[in-house]
Amino acid sequence: MSTQLTLQAPLDVPPAEVHPYLDQLWNHGLEGTTGAATFTLLIWEPSWLEQQMVRIGRIDGPIRGLERNDLIEAARLITAECDLPFSTAPMDPRLAWNVGQLAGHHEAQDLRGQFIPNAISVHTPRRLITLVPTLDASLSLETMVAAYCPLPDEGGAGAACGDAIVLRGGMDALRQGLPLIQPLIDEALPCWVWWNSSLDEPPEMLESLATLPRRLVIDTSLGQPARCLDVLVGRIEAGQAVNDLNWLRLRSWRESLAMVFDPPSRRDALAQVVQLDIDVEGDHPVKGLLLTAWMADRLGWHLIDSSPTDEPGGISAEFQRTDGTTVRFRQMPVPVGLPKAHPGAIVGLRLICEPADRPALCVILCSESGGCMRLESGGMAAMELVEEVVPLPEENEEMEMARLLGGGHDTTNPLLAAAAPLAATILPR
Amino acid sequence: MTTLLTNPLRVGLRQERVITPQCIVIFGASGDLTHRKLVPALFELFRQRRLPSEFAVLGCARRPWSDEEFRSKMGAALAAEIADHPSAWEQFSQGLFYEPVDLQQADHLVRLGQRLEGIDRLRATRGNRTFYLSVAPEFYGSGCRALAAAGLLADAERSRVVIEKPFGRDYGSAQQLNKVVQACAKESQVFRIDHYLGKETVQNILVMRFANTIFEPIWNRNYIANVQITAAETVGVEDRAGYYENSGALRDMVQNHLTQILALTAMEPPGRFDAEAIRNEKAKVLQAARLANEDEPWKCCVRGQYSSGGSRARPLSGYRQEPGVNANSTTETYVAMKLFINNWRWQGVPFYLRTGKRLPKRLSEVVLTFRQAPVHLFDAAGGAPTPNQLILRIQPDEGAEIKFEVKAPGSGMRSRPVDMGFSYDDSFGEPSDEGYVRLLADAMLGDPTLYTRSDEVEAAWRLYTPLLELIEEAPWQLPVHPYEARTWGPAAADSLLGDDGLGWRRP
Repeated sequence: MSTQLTLQAPLDVPPAEVHPYLDQLWNHGLEGTTGAATFTLLIWEPSWLEQQMVRIGRIDGPIRGLERNDLIEAARLITAECDLPFSTAPMDPRLAWNVGQLAGHHEAQDLRGQFIPNAISVHTPRRLITLVPTLDASLSLETMVAAYCPLPDEGGAGAACGDAIVLRGGMDALRQGLPLIQPLIDEALPCWVWWNSSLDEPPEMLESLATLPRRLVIDTSLGQPARCLDVLVGRIEAGQAVNDLNWLRLRSWRESLAMVFDPPSRRDALAQVVQLDIDVEGDHPVKGLLLTAWMADRLGWHLIDSSPTDEPGGISAEFQRTDGTTVRFRQMPVPVGLPKAHPGAIVGLRLICEPADRPALCVILCSESGGCMRLESGGMAAMELVEEVVPLPEENEEMEMARLLGGGHDTTNPLLAAAAPLAATILPR
Repeated sequence: MTTLLTNPLRVGLRQERVITPQCIVIFGASGDLTHRKLVPALFELFRQRRLPSEFAVLGCARRPWSDEEFRSKMGAALAAEIADHPSAWEQFSQGLFYEPVDLQQADHLVRLGQRLEGIDRLRATRGNRTFYLSVAPEFYGSGCRALAAAGLLADAERSRVVIEKPFGRDYGSAQQLNKVVQACAKESQVFRIDHYLGKETVQNILVMRFANTIFEPIWNRNYIANVQITAAETVGVEDRAGYYENSGALRDMVQNHLTQILALTAMEPPGRFDAEAIRNEKAKVLQAARLANEDEPWKCCVRGQYSSGGSRARPLSGYRQEPGVNANSTTETYVAMKLFINNWRWQGVPFYLRTGKRLPKRLSEVVLTFRQAPVHLFDAAGGAPTPNQLILRIQPDEGAEIKFEVKAPGSGMRSRPVDMGFSYDDSFGEPSDEGYVRLLADAMLGDPTLYTRSDEVEAAWRLYTPLLELIEEAPWQLPVHPYEARTWGPAAADSLLGDDGLGWRRP
């Protein structure tokens, strides 16, 4: 893995001089190197929770904008103080907002945009542009520039280098700085926009940054469920290449479920599903709905109806299989003591299949932390039972993002494109 | 593998790496390999949506074909696949081009360079090029020189060259060819193909060994008594007599395919899963491998040649009666040999390799036979307990099998062997890709993990040098034993193991 070698300390450059400075840097300062012919990565990086937690002194600075273990742990501890349920995920935007109501005036250096996670740097971005809004809305725009080269494996000549640009300030200042961005993006290279924040934030910034044909990366676990799904569906329908980190985190669930039905002896059962139950952490339903919609799409189910359950936070729905049989669906929030970092993580899934000439098959998948006990109840003994524990690797956002960058992904994953509109329809409004 | 209905939940789940915009240039495009393997593999990649839209195939050969002729000939060769996927072919074939090129003509290379620039503009392939040398082996070196002289290999990041087997005829020629190739391109640009490494089951040897904890602790001289590697073919020489007469089974199968399987079976665990770490370990184990008797190599190798056989209803002619074969040919169609690996893990464990044409079954497998239990407590149904075996089935019926002793039903305490099996079909029920699909994708991705590095090729040739020299200088010491077509080779091959008190597994 190549290491990032910063050629210079990030340099404060007045906004108007960023472009001329970069021209000069590449034409004179980096002789013998070439700009990496890779991509531009444009990041919206407010890190509200990290900023607030540093402000109230619960974690130490500097503010780096990366997902950090101490931040997650501190966030779990402060949930009760904020009068939020224990099931509140550390990255839930409501937590950041609630922490914002607590008193504190600690200050720390703000190094957002200046740390390049190794997982991302190995893909040698040509240009990283990070927009970092500050808690102090009145701050004016600051711009910083740094060049970097990967440490070459062989020799030192001809390294393909990149640069990093940080735009920092209050929201108004950043809005004013938006015109700076377009000239910094090389149109010959792909451009990714990583909206590393809640989708509830004022939409005009997202609209300004994530224009076509830029590839958009969002996280539908962050924000109001309806808003998250609407953004996702809207962007897909507009023809944008959209990647959803929440969808990517479903990978092991999709893989585990597919694995259960890989043996040809079980394939028939997939056409005989009569019931699907999903348990999720907390009250964010999007992840569970995306998983349901993926299955429904793959198995050709047609949505008949959906509604909230009598118990708060749940969703029930009815699908019709291709043979006309009804499939009952129910998704319930489950209280957990140690929630995953992102809202709405799946705890367990139960699929009941009733083949005509064989005993019913019950498939239960559950997460390592969740256990299967709740889903095991209710007459499972009479069925053939397949239980699998879904491994949930602890991968942070940077790792997920790096996976996207490494994979190319210049179009929306067709499975996501098919599942997202259906998930939006299942969500009761 | 049998083809079953796809698991609907499996569709689209593979996490495939995405190939960058690319032009693949096939030299020898009028040859068999192009329409039998390469273009079908590329079409398969296209259908799997693993090729970017900015993609082109440029066929090159001496014949004065046009783009349209090339498309139509490739279309004719893929008629069955196209019938199932006509619109995919329609799209794919728009990226097929042809340029008449003689690699020995400098002006042709200039024209080729211009054509490639045109294709870059037309298909947005951004100068990323994979040159595939599917030409006669004697043109590998000159082909690379010609590409380098035309500046087509100058960009080490964007250009690669894939070289078909055989890479050299012996240790000396392989060294020489490596020198030529490495003078033209960096090692990272050179992809020496061995299509056996593209097989899922060959790659599975790595996963079986290094993703499980149950095998590796016993994968050594303390537990394993011997290893047999077999690649058996039912077919004869068919229409390859011209090539095969100069090559024989040793060069055609053993030096590359069987040796690669040997390396994967015997290598040490790599520190990480990347191309260099794996190829380092493969090279090391091949460098430690020796013929069981280097001073008297005729004692550890048996050559054979199939004679007529088959049934009265379907008689099979002998090798010497095949079209294009010298009536007095001494080319071996069967070879079996015994090797040792002189390292800590494998000291004293014999590795038996065999391959042949016109054998009773088409199969490739690795059989690890474990040592006998130190004390026999029970009567065995067969007189003595059968040694445990782990069988890795590479083809057909891909999978693995463990043979072990259990109590036979009844009042006594007799043991008998049983099998515990894993089958790709039963567990996954999906056909695996043809080896070229994986390997072509890897070459275009710049991933050389499943390609052979220069030192591996040289080590493989060096391993068999005593045999090749013997065949060259004193062939009477390594005679070609005739064997009846559709039998398991000459009796002398049985003696090779019989002398050690062992026998070949009869699959």
